[in-house]
Amino acid sequence: MPARSSDGASPQTAAGARPGRPAAWVAVMIGAVLLAGAAVAACAQRPAPTVGAAGAAALASATPSPSGGGVPIVAGAPPPAVAAVPPARLRIGKLGVNATVNPVGVDERTGDFAVPPSVDVVGWYRYGPGLEATAGSIVIAGHVDSAQQGGGAFFKLRDLGPGDRIDVTGGDGTVHRFGVVAREIHPKTAIPLQRYFARDGAVRLTLITCGGPFDSATRHYRDNVVITAQPIAT
Amino acid sequence: MSIRLTLRRIAAGAGALGAVAAATLLVASPAHAAGSSKVSVVHGIPGQPVDVYVNGKKTLDNFQPSKVAGPLDLPAGKYDIVIVKPGDPVTSPVVKVDQAAVPADANISLVAHLTADGKPTLTPFVNDTKTLAPGKARLVVRHTAAAPAVDVRAGGQPVFKNLTNPNEAKADLAAGTVSADVVLAGTSTVAIPAADVNLAEGTSTIVYAVGSAEGKTLGVVAQTITGLHGTPGSVNSGTGGTADRGPAAWTYAAAGAGLMLLLGGALVLRRGARRVVGGVRA
Repeated sequence: MPARSSDGASPQTAAGARPGRPAAWVAVMIGAVLLAGAAVAACAQRPAPTVGAAGAAALASATPSPSGGGVPIVAGAPPPAVAAVPPARLRIGKLGVNATVNPVGVDERTGDFAVPPSVDVVGWYRYGPGLEATAGSIVIAGHVDSAQQGGGAFFKLRDLGPGDRIDVTGGDGTVHRFGVVAREIHPKTAIPLQRYFARDGAVRLTLITCGGPFDSATRHYRDNVVITAQPIAT
Repeated sequence: MSIRLTLRRIAAGAGALGAVAAATLLVASPAHAAGSSKVSVVHGIPGQPVDVYVNGKKTLDNFQPSKVAGPLDLPAGKYDIVIVKPGDPVTSPVVKVDQAAVPADANISLVAHLTADGKPTLTPFVNDTKTLAPGKARLVVRHTAAAPAVDVRAGGQPVFKNLTNPNEAKADLAAGTVSADVVLAGTSTVAIPAADVNLAEGTSTIVYAVGSAEGKTLGVVAQTITGLHGTPGSVNSGTGGTADRGPAAWTYAAAGAGLMLLLGGALVLRRGARRVVGGVRA
């Protein structure tokens, strides 16, 4: 009985001593919901991971069917110059990208890919295959952003995934359609550039931009985002 | 990699073309593990189809002048190479090489051609397969013709001077088309008329001067080695930092506010609980 009386007394005592108690419970609950929500949102916002890497590797290692046994014999004439079909316009419906493509090489001073200065223009690597290619990687690189000009044509490139469509219009007016096979994220220190700039393997379109953590001291991103796409029938 | 080629001409037993040469190819042995070498065969003897035997096995049948065969993958080692007129037995060669040493991991062109004085011979050349800088192409010119020293001109200007049989000259040039001709050394007497040569980026174009000045059969044979292209050093395409996709600012704000509410609420509740306990004891 004394126990009951003390039980009976305690709510009264507590009620008298804690006018803020329901508010505290509400605060705890709202706080928990906010924390959980923030955690879920942070996870959802994590950079898109690599997807389809095996498919991209398979395209790179594809070899033309062997021409039968025996030693290949060719005429001892220099191969004729192949008329390149330079990409002129790049459209990515999913991202709302409709960018001019300029032919570019490498920066003479740094030896790096000469990405066009305007963030709205992307660059086709003119030393590699063009749209006429029967083998190898057609490479187009563009800015994710710049300190002066803001977001670039490839700002959302990492949002592309397998199955997304890319249209490239050639300088001759022909439209070449590609379907995304892979999105790969590499640290720039470990990116297999030889594979992405290969002249052999299946014909594929390779789009490159920057991504990952940004080093504000060097003004560089740590990673490259690489989209590999293969031709699809029109 | 250096080559020393020793040719000992042995008295030919049979036929006008029966010059027999024994060549020993000495190449500095590479330090790394031995792998196969790629060997191409270049036919630079005008008017004479041949069969080519490697270690007694017919490898090329009725191989035509001005053609390039291969590359064959040959493990490092010594090879007997015999070239005969089509159908002839190996015992009556046009030219042969005993125990030619093929080094490991090399790219070699074995060229059947005429010496400066018009005798059939076989000369191995080691091809330079070093990776080219982006935008560049390699041009190699080899004098393998029965002709005196020559100059090679590109766009009318001599680029390789006083080249003699069986030697080569080479340069890495901007990729593109060059108009080249061959003149007798130090003169403007054209030996091989101008032709446009397409130097594709990332490839080595090897041009052989072949034939005989006396026989009026001078010409060229070309061989191309692909896959020597370099790549850009890196792709740097962002300086803004706006695409650094850590969680957005609002998620930090929400997490911070949530944490404060949670802790604050918990603190208030705990204080209240203490008072309750105190009340019970009283």
